[in-house]
Amino acid sequence: MKRAFMWLVSMAVAATTVAAPGQAAAAYDAHVWSNSDAFKVACLGVNDTYPQQLYSLTVTQLGKLGFGPVSGALGSGFTRAAVLGNVLSDWAVYVHSHGDNYWAASGAPNIDSGFLQDPGSGKCNSSKDIVRASSIKAATQGSFYNIVIMSTCMLGSNSSTMPAAFQIEKTKKATDYEFYLGYVYHTWDSSSLRFEKAFWSYVNGGTPGSRTLAAAFAYASGIGGYEAVSSSEPFQANWWGDPYYSGTPLRPVAR
Amino acid sequence: MTKMQASISSRNVKSAAGLGIVALMCLAVSAGHIAAARRPSDPGSAAESVTRVEVALDASADAALITREGETRDALGFPVGVKRAGHHVVDGFENAEYDEVTELDSAGNVESVTQFDSKGRLLGAVRVDAAPVTGLRVAQDGAVKSAQRSVVAAGLAVGTPTSTEADQATGGWTVHWTRTQDGVRVRGDETRVQVWPDGRIQSVARSEHDLAAAPASRIGSATARQIAGANLDRWFAGRNSGYTIQKVDLEWVGPNAAFDPARINGVEAPYRLAWVTEVKPSGDAANDVWLMSLFVDAGDGTVIGGDFVE
Repeated sequence: MKRAFMWLVSMAVAATTVAAPGQAAAAYDAHVWSNSDAFKVACLGVNDTYPQQLYSLTVTQLGKLGFGPVSGALGSGFTRAAVLGNVLSDWAVYVHSHGDNYWAASGAPNIDSGFLQDPGSGKCNSSKDIVRASSIKAATQGSFYNIVIMSTCMLGSNSSTMPAAFQIEKTKKATDYEFYLGYVYHTWDSSSLRFEKAFWSYVNGGTPGSRTLAAAFAYASGIGGYEAVSSSEPFQANWWGDPYYSGTPLRPVAR
Repeated sequence: MTKMQASISSRNVKSAAGLGIVALMCLAVSAGHIAAARRPSDPGSAAESVTRVEVALDASADAALITREGETRDALGFPVGVKRAGHHVVDGFENAEYDEVTELDSAGNVESVTQFDSKGRLLGAVRVDAAPVTGLRVAQDGAVKSAQRSVVAAGLAVGTPTSTEADQATGGWTVHWTRTQDGVRVRGDETRVQVWPDGRIQSVARSEHDLAAAPASRIGSATARQIAGANLDRWFAGRNSGYTIQKVDLEWVGPNAAFDPARINGVEAPYRLAWVTEVKPSGDAANDVWLMSLFVDAGDGTVIGGDFVE
């Protein structure tokens, strides 16, 4: 399979080489992954609808920005293999699940952040479901990403290693078209949904390409009204990347 | 691998995925192994109807609004744009309607956004330019004083802040005043100020939902605990899971779709008085959910919503 894949890439690179600039409309793959089976009757005795709401919102809004095809899965199609098998071709990646800054295989204090894949229909999550940042980094092969959103707990904290899995430095002064968004602490789903709605409404609310993702972050963060888990775990989102990037799919450019 | 090398590498690979997409698709069929994950199915359709509709305001007809925005901008120390644009916004994302004035720089970039409700009261103002990197960092006390001055200057009445926390995203501070009605907290509602590290204001927001009439008679917290427990017992029955009810607090809450997909994208109902039951799962369920809450209506005892920390 890997041989076939590499051969296909080689063929395609050759095709690119002979293609004139702007010759064909480029695809900007995006994947939206949302763990839902862990939050259904089989595990909780009740269906939690937030994974569906966040998934639907993101699929639509990434499409409005111009990413496409927007693929992925709500539920059992969200597997480690599917994430790692598709991430190389992605320009935008969104994950909604449980996330944390786990100890790395080398042990504390080293961190290897991760999120949980969907456990599959009728199943519940366990530690075997962790998709590690280190695995993602290997699968990306140093590739470039426009937008990465980790709609999970903890992966927007300063100790998260998830941005680096997508080659995104933890700086707010990046000069390439990249943007990483995550939450700092444990987060109520209602707060994530409110924040992400505000984020998308701002960036897709103006003339296409006229607003920046950093401004959308500031807007969403600024409207307030977010329920905190506790006084020691307030609602906080965080971002890294290019403060001037509009979110429109773009190839990397040294500026 | 350097970043530049990484970028070049990715450009080639992803250009291949884009410009050579037809070839890839044909070859993928013959190889039979490169099937991508399935396309999103129907759940996306509900969100497609969510829109934010802006209708331009006539500056002369809405002079009072423009004036009010200017006063707010100056009170908060926001930059003065070279032009302003006003809109009436029907915001399907937030289920809200408001008037919005944006300050724009010479290139047409948004510098700040200020919103007012239908009565002309300030909903929020946020500057969206980049936070300064000056090395300055005001202490928490200084940030709170700055926040208090700003909300008063912006015409909002506040007392002593409920809480203040350091903000990892800006390096500054966020100051909160929780909203209460008749001594009962309104869940999520607040006045909130973000303070940059140098003490300047990034945003002021007033989040305030409509409240339904309080029920004529209330169930007690013990009854609410029993109702929540009965639901949880049923939900966790036969599973290797348990739970602990950590607290039961009376709050005003928004009925929501947490347990009811039929209510997704529904019209937002006024907040109701409810007993918020915070539940810590244990056993297998703890692998899936870190914390959950059930909103038990304080009048009729029905579960009108909830929340999850996944």
